Amino acid sequence: MTPSLLRPDQPLRLVDTYPPSAAARQAIIRVEDLSIVFDAPSGQVIAVDRVSLAVAQGEFVSIVGPSGCGKSTLLNAMAGLERPFEGQVLMAGEAMRAPRPEIGMVFQQPHLFPWKSVRRNIAHGPRALGKPKAEALRIADGLIEMIGLTRFASAYPHTLSGGMQQRVAIARALANQPSVLLMDEPFGALDAQTRAVMQDNLLELRERINATIVFVTHDIDEAILLSDRVLIMSAGPGRILKDLQVSLPRPRSSAIVAEAAYLALKRDCLDLIRSEGRRAFEQMEIKT
Amino acid sequence: MSIGGRSSATATARLSVVVAALSVPAFTGVWELVARSGIVNTVLFPPPSTVAVAVLEWIRSGQFFADLMASLARVAAGFAIGAAGGIVLGILTGRFRLVSSLLSPLFHILRPIPPIAFVPIVILWFGLSETGKLFLVVWGVFFTVWLATHIGVQKVDRGLIRAAQMLGTPQPQMLWEIVLLGALPYITVGLRTAVSISFYTLVAAELAGAFAGIVYRIEIAQQNMQTGQVMGGLAALGLLSFVADRSFAILAERAVWWR
Ligand SMILES: Nc1ncnc2c1ncn2[C@@H]1O[C@H](COP(=O)(O)OP(=O)(O)OP(=O)(O)O)[C@@H](O)[C@H]1O
Ligand SMILES: [Mg+2]
Repeated sequence: MTPSLLRPDQPLRLVDTYPPSAAARQAIIRVEDLSIVFDAPSGQVIAVDRVSLAVAQGEFVSIVGPSGCGKSTLLNAMAGLERPFEGQVLMAGEAMRAPRPEIGMVFQQPHLFPWKSVRRNIAHGPRALGKPKAEALRIADGLIEMIGLTRFASAYPHTLSGGMQQRVAIARALANQPSVLLMDEPFGALDAQTRAVMQDNLLELRERINATIVFVTHDIDEAILLSDRVLIMSAGPGRILKDLQVSLPRPRSSAIVAEAAYLALKRDCLDLIRSEGRRAFEQMEIKT
Repeated sequence: MSIGGRSSATATARLSVVVAALSVPAFTGVWELVARSGIVNTVLFPPPSTVAVAVLEWIRSGQFFADLMASLARVAAGFAIGAAGGIVLGILTGRFRLVSSLLSPLFHILRPIPPIAFVPIVILWFGLSETGKLFLVVWGVFFTVWLATHIGVQKVDRGLIRAAQMLGTPQPQMLWEIVLLGALPYITVGLRTAVSISFYTLVAAELAGAFAGIVYRIEIAQQNMQTGQVMGGLAALGLLSFVADRSFAILAERAVWWR
C-alpha cells in the first residue's frame, strides 16, 4: 500500500513563514514540504505530512502538539536521524543527510552512556571530535558546574535522578558548542519545581550561548515562556496548523504567566488546540 | 512473625550450612563403605581412598602438571581465538545488514553441527597435531559467542547510538565503544556458555588422539584398567571446569562495571 501523500481533495496548508518572509530569508533551518513515512506492521504510517517551516539564526522556536502527532519525528529529521520520504531539511542551506556535530540534540529520554561517568559522558562529544583529553575534560567540568552537579561528576548515570540525568544530557549536547540545539520535551519527565528551575536556566543559557533552538513540548505555558515563535501541530498525521509570534519582552522569567499579553496568547493557543483535539477525537471515533 | 518463629528460621539456616558442609564428605564416606563392603567389584568401582592414592601418584610423578598445562593451554588458546573471532564478526553482522546477509545464513547452517562430529575430518586435515585440537575448541566457542554478540548488538539501545551519532562519534569508536559496550551484557552470557563448551570440545579433541592432557590420561588409564586413575582424572576435569566457570562468572560481573 502506498500512502496517499498527495491528496488533491485537501488544500496544501502553508504556514505564515512559507514562502519565506524577511526574517526567514536568513533562516538557518529550513524544512521544505517534508513528509516522513514509517513502515509499521499495520501498514505505512504518515508521521509528518508535508511540513514546511523556517527558523532564523538565533531564534527560539517551540513546537506544540498532541502526543503522537510527529513532533519527535520532525525533530529527528532536522537532526538528520530520519530520512525524508518527500521534501527536505536544509541546515545553513545544506541538505541534512546525516547527523552533524554542530547540531546538538537533547532527546526525550536522557540516553546517557551507562558505562561512563557524568564527566566522561559530557566529554564524549569533544573527544569524538578529536579534542585532546585534557581539553575535553576541562569543557566537561565547566558544564558540570553550570548544571550544578559538581558533586556527581564521577557518578554513573543510573545513580542519578531523572532530572539530574536530563541536565547531564543537556550539558552533553552543549559540550560541542552546537550552533543549533534541538530539544525534544527535555523537561517532560520532571516535576513542576525542577521544571521551573530548568526553564529559567535555559532562558539564562540562551542569553549566553546565542544558539538557535527548536524546542518540542506539549506544555503551552512552557512554549510561550521560552519562545520567539510557537508552531502548533495538528493531531497525526502531523502538519503545522498555526505559527504564533510571541512578542513578549526579554529577558523573561516565569513571572510573565500573569501578564495580559501572555494570557491572550495562551487563549489563542488553547482554542486552536481544543478544536484540533475535538477534530482528532471525532476522526478516531469514525475510524473505530 | 513471632520471635520464636524467627529464631527457628535462623536455626534452619544454620542447619542447612552444616548439612551443605557435610554433603561431600558424607557422600564420599558412603561410597567408601559400599566399595569396601564387597557388594561391588572394586576393580571397576574403586573406593575413594584408591582414587586418592592414584591422584597422589599422578601428581608426584609430575605427569599431572604436564597434563593440566596441556589441557589448559588448549582450552585457553581455543577460547581466546574463538571468542575474539565471535565478538568481532558478531559486531559486524549485528551492525551491518550486508555483512549479515553474507555470513549469517552460513553460520546458522554450521552452528547446530556438534563440534565433536568434526573429529574425523579434523584428523584427516590436521592429523594428531595441536592445530587440529585448537580447531575443535575454536569451532565450538566461536558460534556461541558469535550468536550472543550478534543478538546483543541488535538489542543495543537505539537511543544510545543516536546520541553518539549526534555527538559526532566516528564509526570505529561507534563499533568498539558504543556497540561493543552496549552489547556487553549479552556477550558475557555467551562467553560464559562458551567456557563449558570449550571443555566439551577439549574432551573430543583429546580423545581423538593426544600425547598429554587430562582426558588423554583418563583414556590411557582406562586402557590399563586403572579405574582409580580414571576417576581421579574425571574429578580433576570436573574441578577444573568448575573453577573456570566460577572465575569467569566473577570476571563477567566485573566486566559490566557500570551496573
Ligand atoms: N520507528 C517508528 N516506526 C513506526 N512508527 C513510528 C516510529 N516512530 C514514530 N512512529 C509513529 O509516528 C507517529 C509520530 O510519532 P512521534 O514519536 O514523532 O510523536 P510525538 O509527537 O513525538 O509524540 P509524543 O508527544 O508522545 O512524544 C506516531 O503515530 C508513531 O506511532
Ligand atoms: Mg515525542
